Formats: sequence, C-alpha cells, structure tokens
Amino acid sequence: MQITSETLERAIEELAKLPGMGRKTAQRLAMHLLKREKAEVHRLADAIKDLKEKILYCESCFNVTDHSPCSICRSPKRDQSVICVVEDTRDVYVIEKTGEFRGMYHVLGGVISPLDSIGPDDVRIKELVSRVNKQDAPVQEIILALNPDAEGEATSFYINKLLKPFDVRITRIAHGIPMGTELEFIDEATLSRAFNGRNTF
Amino acid sequence: MSLYFLVMIISNISLKNFRNHTDTHVSFKDGINLITGPNGVGKTNLVDAIHYLCMSKSFVTASDSYVVKQGESSFEIHANIAGSLRQPFNLSCIWNRGEGKKFFVNDSPLDKLSDLIGTVPVVVLCPEDKKITNEGPAERRAFLDAMISQYSKNYLADLIDYRKILRQRNSLLSSGNTRNIFAMIEAWDHQLAGPTARIVAKRHRVLLDFATHLEDNYAQISNIRLKPTFEYKTFCEPTDEEEAIKSAFLKKLEENREKEMERQLTLVGPHRDELVFLLDGMEIRKFGSQGQHRLFALALKMSQLTWYYDIMDDLPIFLLDDVFGDLDPQKIQVLTNFLNNHDGQTFITSANISPFNGLIDFNSDKNQSLSVSAGPEISGSSN
Repeated sequence: MQITSETLERAIEELAKLPGMGRKTAQRLAMHLLKREKAEVHRLADAIKDLKEKILYCESCFNVTDHSPCSICRSPKRDQSVICVVEDTRDVYVIEKTGEFRGMYHVLGGVISPLDSIGPDDVRIKELVSRVNKQDAPVQEIILALNPDAEGEATSFYINKLLKPFDVRITRIAHGIPMGTELEFIDEATLSRAFNGRNTF
Repeated sequence: MSLYFLVMIISNISLKNFRNHTDTHVSFKDGINLITGPNGVGKTNLVDAIHYLCMSKSFVTASDSYVVKQGESSFEIHANIAGSLRQPFNLSCIWNRGEGKKFFVNDSPLDKLSDLIGTVPVVVLCPEDKKITNEGPAERRAFLDAMISQYSKNYLADLIDYRKILRQRNSLLSSGNTRNIFAMIEAWDHQLAGPTARIVAKRHRVLLDFATHLEDNYAQISNIRLKPTFEYKTFCEPTDEEEAIKSAFLKKLEENREKEMERQLTLVGPHRDELVFLLDGMEIRKFGSQGQHRLFALALKMSQLTWYYDIMDDLPIFLLDDVFGDLDPQKIQVLTNFLNNHDGQTFITSANISPFNGLIDFNSDKNQSLSVSAGPEISGSSN
C-alpha cells in the first residue's frame, strides 16, 4: 500500500488506539472528519484538548471537575456528614443518576491489587482518612460502594480497619438480586450473598 | 430389577482435525460402546474428544496445541446429547490457534469455561490413574477437585476465586514492600478465608460419603480382604462447620506470619491439603505394589461413579481407556459385571474384543462394538 498522506495516516493511527475502535472504523472516522466543516472539526479538537487542559481533580473528593472543589463538594444542599467511597469517576455518574444519594463522594481512583502493583498508597485512601479526621465538618457515615470482587472487598476491609478508631459509622451497599430478574436466572454466588444479606420484612 | 435411572447419552459425535481425526462421524449406543483397533489408529483420541467436550480439556495431553491435528490451525468437536433434565441439545467446541477454545450449547456460546463443567458429567479410567496414589498430593487434590466440581458449581466457583485471591496474596508477600505487607495482609487473609472454609467443609462432607463407596468397590475388585481408607489432612481438624474452619484458618495464618514473610508464599490453606490413602492402615504411596496402585485407582474411579449415582440427576458418562489389557481374568469379570450393571453410557477402548467374549453382549440393542482402522476409518460390527 502506498500512503499518499502521512497526516491522514497519523490521524487514523491515533483514532485506532481508542477503546472499542478497530482500524477500519478509525479509517471511516478520519475520512468523515476530513469531509466536515473546518469549524466543526476544530470544536471536536478543542473539546478533546480541554479534557486534559481544563479538567481538574477535585481537591476534596477527587472526582473530575472544571473548578475545584467540584459542584457536589460546594453544594450547600448536600449532606456533608456522609461520604460514599467509590473506585472511579464512572461510579459517581452511575450513583448520581439514581438521584437517591445526597451526600459527598470520595473517588479512590482504583482498588488495591498486588498483582498489578497497586498498594494502599497508590489509591486515595490517606486522603479519605484525613477527610474523616478533619475537625471542622464531622463525618458521621462512610458508605463503601466498591465492586464486590476480591480486590474491592480487600480494599473495603482495609479502609474499614483504618477508620475503626474514628467515631464514624461504616456501612457498605447491599449485594444481591438485580431488579427485574427472576430468581431462577441468578447465579449461586449472588443468591447466597443475597441470602446472607437478607433483612426483616 | 434395576432401578429407573436418568441417564446422560451422547448420541453421536463429529470431529474435525482433532488429534489424528480429520473428519470423523460416529453414532453411539445407549449402553456399552467398545472401540477396538490396532495401536495408534486413534481409539483413545475418540474417547479423549468426549472428555474434551465434557471437561474442556484432554485427559491425554495438557496442551491444546497437541490436540489439534498436526499442520492445522483449528479443531472442532460437535455432539448431540440427550439427558433427562432437558431436551436433547448439541454441545460443540471450536478451538483456534490464537483465539483458544470456545464452547457452544445449541449454538449459543458459553461465557465461561467453568459453565461447561458438570453439564455432561464424565468419569474417566485410564492407565495414568496410577498417579493418583503413586505421586504427590497435587494429583490427589486434582482428582478430588475434578470429582466435586462436576457435581457442585459452587465448589468450582470457590476454587476459581480461591486461586485468584491466592495469587494476589502471594504477589503481596513477594512484593518486598514490608510496610504494605503489614498494612494489607489481613485484608487478603479475610478474602481467602471465605472460599477456604467452603472448600474444606465441602471436601470433608464429600469424603465422608465417599469412604463407604471406596470400601465397597475395593472389596468388589480385589478379592483379598484389605480395607482401603484415607485420611483427609488440612490445617485444622476437618469439619463441616464453616465458621470454625474460618477462625482456625485465620489463626493459622497469624501463627505463620513470619514464616510466610520469609518464604514470600502462602503456606496455609486448601491448596496444601493432603489426602492419604491407606490399605489396612499402611500408606499406599509408600508401601503399595504396582498391582495395588492399579486396583486402588480402579476402585477410586468406580467409587466416583457410584458416588455420582447417589447424588446426580443424570448418570455420568464412563470412559475406560486401555485398562483391560492389564487386568487378570477375574478382575475383567468383576469390571465387566460392573459395566453390565451400570445403566449409564460407557465407552471402552481396547486392542481387540477377545477379553470381552462371553462377558459383554455386543449384539444387544444397547451395546455395540466399533472398530477403528488406519485413516482413521470407523466401522460398526454389531447387529
């Protein structure tokens, strides 16, 4: 194959690195962009650039934001005394969509996994402890909302151990049966968990 | 006057590029299917294909790259299977170099390989079985784990979880970061404790039932009155009280903390369990003769089968690869008797039909004798 434009080739290569993108799709996108209005393409390019230049991590909860502290941390309507601990920014989005939770967040930015060389210092656990330790705004409850796999559980266990000495209630979200499914389709592990976590009717 | 049993039956199988089979189609009978032929024509490969389809691996070779026919880049196995719990279904396996293996039930792919195990339960008897009593504890754990996993999906899930957490914990212990180890080790201890308790409790419960099966089957196959027993050795007194196992495990980990830090390895847990087999109180691994190892292995596999009778909905498929050549006429008679009384489907490979003359009726509707010749060509010789 003879390449007639290194520039086009470079764009295809960069696009092809994106998740879920194959070389064919990258080619189609690059060709598409080539045909669009200049202003439109610039808007896209700026939006991508701004991701790295304008987005910050909130100094308090480490969620992504344009202004630190983030709008959740600044909001007077939210309950400052409850902090929900999540692995990733993605999880904040999901929980916010429920509209159910009106407290604060703390984004760890990962979970502990020795196989991937991620130790307690590589995620924002120290920062969580200092939030709890702050005297001016007392935290009453920490909700652990990490994934129920071995790494998430080990991380929850460790956080629980660290926060035990403080006068704070530590809870975790329930694990069990998803809404709208029938019992017969639930795998055994989930069902046993749901049984262990049953509550009074 | 046999009881009414529910049975798993492989009606037919097709192989493409599986070992020496380029394109083989065979139909099977519900009872005993004898496969005869000269050495090296592909008899074992045919029953190995059945094993592969049931257990997602060969019982002959550990590596899939030896399973695919030389010079080919993919293999396929397709089978039609009838059981009592569900409508007849087809089960397929497709392996590609690079992509690996994928299993399909009625053409829809299984998400995890572990979903396959137990779908078509199978018991295999082969010359390598001697390893179970002859070699190290890993062989005995592998036997026990394969036996329980086909019956209990929960057990298999716990084993998979356990191994994953064990890798994390070992990785932490060998990280060299002492501060991290002290901070985190307890969290991993507790992660490990759940599956540990369930695995040990399950092994204990299963082995309690298994003991009587082993005694009965060993008595049948060997006419010498030696009593086979075993001891299940784990880090605590075996029990089925999961909470008790959990606290014993956590205590043992505490006690071994320094040693584990030094060795950078998890030294306590079901991955180090031992199953000691004894004949009249003497450890067979140390004192058993070749013949005793062979008989003991035979009794173990017969017991796996009879234990499955008690607990499974469908009778499993029984594969006997090349075991009759080694047995004396009395043992052959006992084993063929056992097979005639077994209501499930059976596959036997043998160099020739003569050991079975007068013992198994291959003219009955339930049984058949197939012969494999170079090619491989398969032809029926029953009816």
